[in-house]
Amino acid sequence: MILFENVGFRYGRGPDILQGLNFEIPDGEFTFITGASGAGKSSLLRLLYLDDLPTAGKISLFERDVATLTRDEIAWFRRRIGVVFQDFRLLDHLTAAENVALPLKVAGAREAAYRDNVAEMLHWVGLGEQMNVRPPHLSGGEKQRVAIARAVVASPDIILADEPTGSVDPEMAERIMQLFLEMNRLGKTIVFATHDLEMVNRSKQPRIDLSTKTTNNGMAA
Amino acid sequence: MRRSSLIPFKAGGGFLMALIVAAMAFLACFALGGALGASKLANAWTEGLSGAATVRIGAEDGAPEQQLGIVLDILKSSEGVIDAVPLTTDEVAALLKPWFGATPELADLPAPAIVAVTIDPLNEPDTAIIQARLDGAAAGAVYDDHGEWRGRAASAAHAVRSVAIGALIVCAFAIASVVILTVRTGLSAHKENIATLRLAGAEDRYVAGLYQSRYFWLGLLGGVLGCLLAFAAMIGFDAMPTVSRALPALELPTYWWLVFPGVILFVVILCILAARFTVLGTLRRGA
Repeated sequence: MILFENVGFRYGRGPDILQGLNFEIPDGEFTFITGASGAGKSSLLRLLYLDDLPTAGKISLFERDVATLTRDEIAWFRRRIGVVFQDFRLLDHLTAAENVALPLKVAGAREAAYRDNVAEMLHWVGLGEQMNVRPPHLSGGEKQRVAIARAVVASPDIILADEPTGSVDPEMAERIMQLFLEMNRLGKTIVFATHDLEMVNRSKQPRIDLSTKTTNNGMAA
Repeated sequence: MRRSSLIPFKAGGGFLMALIVAAMAFLACFALGGALGASKLANAWTEGLSGAATVRIGAEDGAPEQQLGIVLDILKSSEGVIDAVPLTTDEVAALLKPWFGATPELADLPAPAIVAVTIDPLNEPDTAIIQARLDGAAAGAVYDDHGEWRGRAASAAHAVRSVAIGALIVCAFAIASVVILTVRTGLSAHKENIATLRLAGAEDRYVAGLYQSRYFWLGLLGGVLGCLLAFAAMIGFDAMPTVSRALPALELPTYWWLVFPGVILFVVILCILAARFTVLGTLRRGA
């Protein structure tokens, strides 16, 4: 479960990006994070993948206050969280398959044990033919799908996605959305940040709107 | 996918660092080799002199032949003296030859009478007692147990060892500095890659392991290169006739070759440790 209690966040001495944020995302739920540009969607995700700590309030992940985690514990928690970054964060010198294998590699898995799994994952996102292609030679949509495959390959408990459909055409966006829904059906908690309200409105999933600090499931954000 | 390939290290930059490590390893080999050679030389000198003493009877002190008999009696009756044999005129001339050359007039010079004394190294005679007895019976006879010379040889060997240790410390400091500098530069250059690894769940020690692996190979390359050059230089140095004539006793001990694996091991461990602690420290400071 993800629990935000009166969470505030700002960069250094800058203005508050997030303020008084309260919400709870139960295990296995698919939740949209929406809001206008600059509302703090990416900042909220940064807090969730432990790249920053809140400047006010408390965030609980896996029943732990994230402010109390040691550096090693942060690394272990990150292995339970898959992230699709807005800018993909792929390593350009590695192939698509090597990028996807990254979370397994840093967790100490042997290549022989995960080779088939990585290939299967790339086939699943429709990149089975581009396993040995490096990111500079992939299109934006292809990079996005490599990033998605990397986020889910280690079967994390929580998957965070920052505008995962932002750089693809509507057809691919729908396909990516279906991928996330499928992962959610497998029991993964999905936090999906997007400004595509049309896609959110088509879905029946709960949403947290950072612009209005409201939710559509009756909780106060 | 090799673990070390997760960070795109550039081969060229590493080779330059390996060359600096090679230069330091080369100097370390010479420092250690010099220290070993000097220690062996000092030991040879002191050991060679520890069972011997001499008595010199000055030519100007009158009737040295008469005094010689008295001196021999005193020596042979002293505790700790095994034997006392006067050197012949030819033997004394041979001692003087390096300074005066093979000149026929040497026999006419007022050379001192010399007595070679063999002493018991386990029960050395008391120098002061012997000298006092000589002073009473044969004025001008001087007993020399070479203590001053042995002391100077030991001091010289100690000084050479200290200089060698100092040189090793300087080499270690230089290697550690160049590793720290290049690791910091690498961490800065690969900041984005490292951030991605850490977001994928890599612990600090995992990232440190990537650098340790890289610097293990660079240290090994530099160490082996430096030691090979030092080995070749030492062999060449030893084969130079001018050196062997000037320093005939400067020989390395039989285990001298251990210097090379020792220096390589030292350099590799130093590179690994410097890389590890630099990465861990830099990451913990939030870089």
